[in-house]
Amino acid sequence: MISEILDWSIRIMDYRLYENVTVRDLIFAFVIILIAYIIAKFIAISLRRSLADKMKKDQLELLVKLVYTVILLIAIVTVTPILGVSLTGLLVAGGIAGIVIGFASQRVVSNLLSGLFLIAERPIKIGDQVVVGNIAGFVEDMNIMSTIVRTYDGLYVRIPNETLFTSSITNPVANVARRFEYQISIRYSDDANKAIEIIKRMIEEHPFALKIPPPRVFVDSLTESGVNIIARIWAPSTAWLDAKMEILWKIKVELEKNGIKIAFPQRLIWFGEEYENKKL
Amino acid sequence: MFGVYNLKDLSIKKGELDLKVEAENGFYSYIRKMGDSEVRKIILKDAEVCLNPVEPVNLPKNITNYLYIGFKNPVLIAPVSSAEVYTTFPIEIGVIIRRENVYEDIDVFSFVNPKFALYGEPRGGVIGRYWEGEVFGKIPQVDPLREGILKLTILNLSHNWCEVSKAVFDVYGMEIYYNEKVVSSIAEMRIHSKRVADTSFVDEPLLNNMKKSIGLYSAKLLPMLSTKFTMEWGV
Repeated sequence: MISEILDWSIRIMDYRLYENVTVRDLIFAFVIILIAYIIAKFIAISLRRSLADKMKKDQLELLVKLVYTVILLIAIVTVTPILGVSLTGLLVAGGIAGIVIGFASQRVVSNLLSGLFLIAERPIKIGDQVVVGNIAGFVEDMNIMSTIVRTYDGLYVRIPNETLFTSSITNPVANVARRFEYQISIRYSDDANKAIEIIKRMIEEHPFALKIPPPRVFVDSLTESGVNIIARIWAPSTAWLDAKMEILWKIKVELEKNGIKIAFPQRLIWFGEEYENKKL
Repeated sequence: MFGVYNLKDLSIKKGELDLKVEAENGFYSYIRKMGDSEVRKIILKDAEVCLNPVEPVNLPKNITNYLYIGFKNPVLIAPVSSAEVYTTFPIEIGVIIRRENVYEDIDVFSFVNPKFALYGEPRGGVIGRYWEGEVFGKIPQVDPLREGILKLTILNLSHNWCEVSKAVFDVYGMEIYYNEKVVSSIAEMRIHSKRVADTSFVDEPLLNNMKKSIGLYSAKLLPMLSTKFTMEWGV
């Protein structure tokens, strides 16, 4: 009975599927791919663990994807002769199939190519903040077909790479520093020079208000309601929002502490009779 | 103040700094108050605590690994020559716990206010922790809790006079040495032209009786990566 089962198993293993490829070859190829997949996964996890605090997240992700893909490609190249597939033939067939598929699914190919161009041009990277159309948030992942954005309110948004590639992309953190501006309006009765001195001091005291380029504080305009002072401050892109939120309130508090008030919109109306009486 | 302490014996009051460890129900509470900031952490096992100067780029939060020293007065250096000068750098003090030679930083504080500056252009430049340092011809007397001494060897490899008004360093290569009176680091600046120079740190103490600080950055560096910084936006 056992010998019959063994005999039957051997016959199954040796069963020719096509040309010289047997079931045994197919199983062998499958095992190689499986082992390669496990090794690739293991190396990807190990790389993430060991290099997480030594490399930037986007560079690490690129490295992990590269290593993962190379291992799987090696496995595929190894198993193709076992499966009786000629690599040259596969490439030719792949080329022809590519053209056919390309025509049949233009959008998919467009997304794929856009993905490749985005990877090459790198207008954004994982972890960056980005504004594309009416979507704003953090880039969570960049794949070959789409880019994943987590909006500021925590929503998951998948943007096809074609859309991303053909849209204007604003990356607020692509440059290391950025400038922001306040317009502070004080009353005409207040001393503008003193106000400027206080505003400069508040900016100087904040660590993320850059020393170089220096901040600029000046009287910009004399309006109906008050004297407009403009403060232009450079801050590191990664900390500009903290700086912007903190400095303004400190300026307001310090100005008021020194008797300088923020001007309110106001209009003095003199009635004719009242004016005449005043003249008398 | 710098040195190694038993966790339960740690208690330091200096100026506005109040640092202590309280034993509570078998574990330890680390409490550090300074100005408006307060840090409290619970440590579950007894350990040794090292207080030493660390790379000054951690406060108020780590946004860069570059140190930008702007000289109060620019230095002129003759063509194809070298000179040794001393300047200062800001001190940040790291609190690092150690048990069986495994280290972990639990806190960083400083007696000086941090400030940052942009070196270069917003696109392609770098943000550096800014410090304005005076240039001295000999080792200056400074408060080791606030300022460290940086011995800077400037090599002018160009055939022109060069005016040096700043030096930017990558702190991944910074090695800090200290004793009770002096905190120091040694660096080199190789000027290739009026606009381009390389900077790097040298792993040597300034004086004989100095201990090496446990750094927060050197341990994180991949061995094959260079810690040299090329100043391409002027010196």
